[in-house]
Amino acid sequence: MSVIDELTGELARLPGIGRKTALRLTFHLLKAPAEEAQRLSRAITAVRERVRACERCGNLTEQSPCAICTNTRREHGLVCVVEEASDIMAIERTGEYRGMYHVLGGRLSPLDGIGPAELNVRPLLERLKEGEVREVVLATNPSVEGEATALYLHKLIAPAGVRVTRIARGLPVGGDLEYADGVTIAEALNGRREL
Amino acid sequence: MPLVSTRALVLQTFPYSETSKILRLFTWEHGLRSVIAKGALRPRSRFGGVLEPFTEGTAQIYLKEGRELQTLSGFDLLRSRQALGRSLAAFAGASLMAEVAIRTGTEDPQPALYAELAAGWDSIAAAADEAAAEAAVLGGAWRIVSLVGFEPQTDACVVCGRDAAPDKPVRFDAEAGGVACTSCRPVGRLIDPQSRAELRRMIRGLPLNAPLGRPGLHRALLRTFLEMQLAHGKPFRSLELFMTGMEEA
Repeated sequence: MSVIDELTGELARLPGIGRKTALRLTFHLLKAPAEEAQRLSRAITAVRERVRACERCGNLTEQSPCAICTNTRREHGLVCVVEEASDIMAIERTGEYRGMYHVLGGRLSPLDGIGPAELNVRPLLERLKEGEVREVVLATNPSVEGEATALYLHKLIAPAGVRVTRIARGLPVGGDLEYADGVTIAEALNGRREL
Repeated sequence: MPLVSTRALVLQTFPYSETSKILRLFTWEHGLRSVIAKGALRPRSRFGGVLEPFTEGTAQIYLKEGRELQTLSGFDLLRSRQALGRSLAAFAGASLMAEVAIRTGTEDPQPALYAELAAGWDSIAAAADEAAAEAAVLGGAWRIVSLVGFEPQTDACVVCGRDAAPDKPVRFDAEAGGVACTSCRPVGRLIDPQSRAELRRMIRGLPLNAPLGRPGLHRALLRTFLEMQLAHGKPFRSLELFMTGMEEA
C-alpha cells in the first residue's frame, strides 16, 4: 500500500469524510507547502497528547481542572449536566450561561448496552456532597433516552436537597409552526407557559 | 425499487455518519426491517423529531427484498409515546419489549406481535404509577414471549404432565419451559398459588384485578425465562436496567 493510499484510508475513517473527499484532502496536502502539512500533523499529535477529560466536570481540556471549573467569575452553585463535552461548546456559544458543567459521557440507552454504570454520575454526586451546588440543570438531549436519563438523575440528585431543573423543549426560534413535526408541536404545547 | 407504505413502530435508533439515522422498525406488513433515514439528524430534516424509539407512524420505505438496509423516504406520525421516557420503569420496560421483538422478529408480517407491542407500550405509558407500569411491562413482555412461540406452560407440570392444583405452590422450571410439581422438582423457585394465577392472567393478556402481590418474584421469573429460553448466551441489555430500576424504586 502506498503512503497516498494509507493517508486517504485514514482520512476516510473520519466522520463525514468519504473516500472521494479523503483523496481530495490528500492531494491538497501534497500540493500545499510542506510547512502546512507539518502544522496539521503537529496539531493532531498535540491534541491527542495534551487534551484530556477535566477531573472535576469531564470537559475536554489541556489543564485539569479546566478553565471553566477554575473560573472564579462563574457561578459555582449552578451545574449544567450534559451528555457530551461537545454540548458544552454549544451552550457556551449562547453566552447566556455562566455556571459550571458536568459531562455524563452518554445517555441511558438500554438497547445499546448503556446503563447507569456506564455514565459518569458518581463524580457529580460527590460534587453535590460538597454543599456548594444549589441548582442542577439537566440538559440531556430532548429525546426519549435523554428524558429517561434526566429522570434517572433527578431521582439520584433530589435527596441531596438541591434544586433540579430541566431545559425547556419545543419549537425552534425562527421556525414555522406549519412545518414543525407533530412530536415537537405536542411537546411545545405541553410545555406552554403563562405570559 | 418499489416504494411501500406501511404502519411501523420504531424499536431502536442510532446515528449513522454525521446526519443520518439507522432505525429498526417493526412494520405491519413487512415485519422487522432496518432502514436508513438520510439527513434525519439535520436541524431542518423533513423527519423532524418523530424518529424516536416507541414512535408509531406510517413509514414510506424503498424496499428491495434481500437487502439488509432499506431506505426510509418518509414517516407520518401516528403516536409519539414520549410519555415512556418520563418514568425509568416505563422506559426500561418498553425498551425490553422492543429488544425481545428485535431478537425474535423476522421479515414476515406478524400483525399480532405488532398489535401486542403497540398495546403494551400504550398500557405502560398510561400506567398511573411505577407499580402499574411494572405490571404492564411484565404483562406485555410475557405476551410477546408467548406470541413468538415460547409461552410458558402454567396449567400442567412440565415433567409429569399432570394438571397443577390451583391451591398448591409449584416450582418454576425455566429450562423445561413452565411450572412443575414440587414432587417432580424438589428444588427451584417456588411460585405461590396467587402468583401463578397472576402469571397465567398476564400470559393470556387478561387484566390483573389487583396490584401484583410479589412483583419481585414476577421480575425474577421473567428474567430467568428470558435468559434460559431466548438469550442464547447474549444477555438482554435492557433487562438489567429494568431490574435495577424496579429494585431501586
